[in-house]
Order: sequence, then structure tokens, then C-alpha cells
Amino acid sequence: MSGSDRERVHSGGACPHTHPAQYRHPVAMFRLQGSKVLAVDMTGDSVKAKNGSMVAYDGRMDFKKLTGGGEGLRGMVTRRLTGEQMALMEVKGQGTCYFADRASEINLVSLHGDKLYVESSNLLCTDGGLRTGTSFTGLRGGATGNGLFTTTVEGTGQAAIMSDGPAVVLRVTPPYPLSVDPGAYIAHQGDLRQQFQSGVTFRTLVGEGGGEAFQIRFEGDGLVYVQPSERNTVGGDV
Amino acid sequence: MNTPVIHDPMSLPGDDNVDSYTFCVELKGSQWFLQKGKMIAYYGRIDFNGVGHGSLDRLMRTSFHSPLHASDWVVAEGSGKMLLADRAFDVNSFDLDDGNLTIRAGNLLAYQPSLALKQSIVPGFLTLIGTGKFVAASNGPVVFMEPPIRVDPQALVGWADCPSPCHHYDHGYMSGVMGGLRQLSGIGGASGEEHQFEFVGAGTVLLQSTEALMPEVATGAVPHADGVPGGGHGPGRPGTTPRLPGQLGDLQHRFGL
Repeated sequence: MSGSDRERVHSGGACPHTHPAQYRHPVAMFRLQGSKVLAVDMTGDSVKAKNGSMVAYDGRMDFKKLTGGGEGLRGMVTRRLTGEQMALMEVKGQGTCYFADRASEINLVSLHGDKLYVESSNLLCTDGGLRTGTSFTGLRGGATGNGLFTTTVEGTGQAAIMSDGPAVVLRVTPPYPLSVDPGAYIAHQGDLRQQFQSGVTFRTLVGEGGGEAFQIRFEGDGLVYVQPSERNTVGGDV
Repeated sequence: MNTPVIHDPMSLPGDDNVDSYTFCVELKGSQWFLQKGKMIAYYGRIDFNGVGHGSLDRLMRTSFHSPLHASDWVVAEGSGKMLLADRAFDVNSFDLDDGNLTIRAGNLLAYQPSLALKQSIVPGFLTLIGTGKFVAASNGPVVFMEPPIRVDPQALVGWADCPSPCHHYDHGYMSGVMGGLRQLSGIGGASGEEHQFEFVGAGTVLLQSTEALMPEVATGAVPHADGVPGGGHGPGRPGTTPRLPGQLGDLQHRFGL
């Protein structure tokens, strides 16, 4: 990366990130180094990353703890109240910074003004220009054992999410709704409605359940990320 | 930038791997047996019923003969595409053509009802007999070997076409004064490779490329009865993995220690 022009561009402006080389706007470039290490090329811009996830860097980098995920006092209080806590740091500098966390598989997500819903524990890194926040998920969160709230990432830019095993990206369109096991769900983006499905019947209570008693049904238009592995969920055994 | 592949119901393969860790089953009004909790997502209308479900009686009579594992299995029925995965391990499908295959109970994900599932007389293993497709997980890719071969107990996934499985202990480890001392003191002894499973006869042995066993639920325990190998352990202690017969601990019992 040449550092020749580095005027600060907020990703909320004219979105240049599809042709970064051509326009030379300093927007962090996310790429995967193998499948478990995220490399971010930066030219004076910043990214937000999970605290302590930096494994190596090249060039000059500043690491700053972001109290409350960089969402200000209100965000901090919300996160404290909802239990959706997220220790983030801001990384700023020139060069390449490498991120990884417990050998999890990393998946890149491109956002073009839409919203990504992800569990805070699965979020590794986002472009500095993306806004993060919390949102209420309803019953689904209760069944995944992750609490009733989830993290949202909004704006235009790139984000990196983690999964146990490479995630499968499934498209949901109005004629093809998708049902997902809560334990395998990691994130979704786009205009999706989620609905909690319960197959609990008297059979479940007498131990003859179908084994897949809880599902999240996604309807609408968007993408759902599932991992080839299941977390232990409250509903997992029924 | 590497863009992820986005799948939709049309682009998902029918009865094939999506990637090394995910398998897609296509149901067209048909049924599949499925181990609980291995389904991660599905398109379409699919019902999951426990194997004790009344309407499945006829199916059970032909394809399910393992009461001990009944609580682990469900029948998926309907139409759509269903994704299966297991703890981010490699999954693969295998076709049996009027054959038989024995596999570690925790490694079997799903099978077609044209196969019949039975308990192997080797505890903790299941035998599939018939013609059809099944999906199995392994920690690392599966390696196929021809007997005669001795394999590490932890690396064994299963075996097909009836080679004869038996235990093999290294002679030098057990014999002589030094062997006894090693047993008593535990010093200088175990390389961890004194005990193997030995296969002779015609067939194929399936190995996984790591020795880390998948943590599995203790459902493979066999009932107390004379003549049933491993029957002495009683009903599986919840939360522990079933003991393999002939693990090193059992060697000590053999010498009365």
C-alpha cells in the first residue's frame, strides 16, 4: 500500500470500497490469509476488532480500547443492560494487521447499506465506518443460549464473522423460506423476518421428541450464515 | 477479496457434499434416518419425528433394530433440502450395495431407510446392512485400508465387508520382569501404542486421520448379560464417553492389578 494520499473518508459517503485500488481511498481492505486469519490492509484508516484478536502486524499500528464498543455512553449502558457485551478495540495505522481468534474459521461479509445481525461472540472485526448496536431478537436468542439480544452492524463496508467450521451462506427468498437450528445459526443480513418455531408436543415431554424441537424460520429476502457445528443450546436436547 | 459462495435451494446439491463439512440431503417425499441434532438448516417442509412415533412403526420394523440408540435417532420426512453437519468434522456419504458396514455410533449422521441399522456386537459400534446411502463424520478425512492391518483404537472409524476385528497387545509390553515392573510402577512403560485393533480377512477398514475421538453421548452401552462383550459396565454413566473395551486400563485388570 502506498501511503501517498490518505484523506479520511467515512464509509457513509460515496462508497468507494468496491474499487479501492482504482480510487485510492483509504478504506481498510479485508482479505483472508488462509481461512483462519484475517488480514486487513490499512492506509491511515481504522477498523474495530475484538479485543486481543490481533496476532501480528506489519507497519505502524495504534491499538485503542473502545469502551462500550465505541457506541457512546448510551450504547455502553444498553450493552451492560442487555448482557450483549463486546470488548472492542480500535486499530488504526498503516500497514497490514492480522487478526485471529481461537482458530475459528473466518467469513467475510460485505455490507451495502444493509444490516448484519450477529452474536457479539461471533464478531471479529468491522470496518471503522460501520455502526454497531444492539437489537432485541425475541425468543430465538433465548433458545440459542445467547441472551435475548444480538449485535447489529450497519452501513457500507466489510465485516468479518467467526464460525466453528466454515460457514455455509444460504439465500432466503420469498418463495423459499429457511429453517435453521438455533445452535448452528451465526448471523443473518438483509430484510428478513425471523420466527421462532417450536415442535414441542406431548411426545417431547415423554422423551420421544423429534430432536429438532426448536427452529428459527427466516422469511423475506436476505442471507443466513450457518456453521457446520452446533453450540449447546437450551433447546438442543429436546 | 474472497467472496463466499452463496447457496440457494436451486444451487444446493442433491444428496451430496456442499463443502467438506456440510452435506445436503434432498427429500422428495422420502424418509431419512437422522441422528438428533445433526440437522443445521433446511429449505422446504420437513417433519422430524422420534423413532417411537406411531406412524413410523412399519419403517422401524424394516430399518431400525437398535433400541439402545432409539433416543438418538429421528426420522426426517417431507420434501426439501436439508443440511447436515457434525461439530465441524469432515462429513462424507458412502454407498452400500447389498453390503455391510460397521461404524462407530457417534460417527454416523444419517442413512436411507433402505439400509437396516443394527447394533454391532462390538460395543459402541453400529452395523448397516443392505443397499443405500449413509452419511458419516470423521475427524479429518477418511482413509481406506485393506486388511491385514493393525490400527490405533482411537483412529478407527469403522470397517466394511466383515474383516475380523480383534484386540492385539504387543508381546514385549506384557512379558518379562520389566513388563511387570512397568505395569506396577507405570514408569518408562507406555508409549501409548501397545494396544491395537487387528483386522484380518477380506474387506476394508476405515480410519480417520486424527486420534482425537469425537465426544459422544454414552448411549452405546450394552445391557448386563452373560456373553455380551462389555456388558459389565452397566448403563452408560451420563456425561462420560463409553469406555472402549481393551483400553489400557483394562489391561491391568487382566493381570489382576
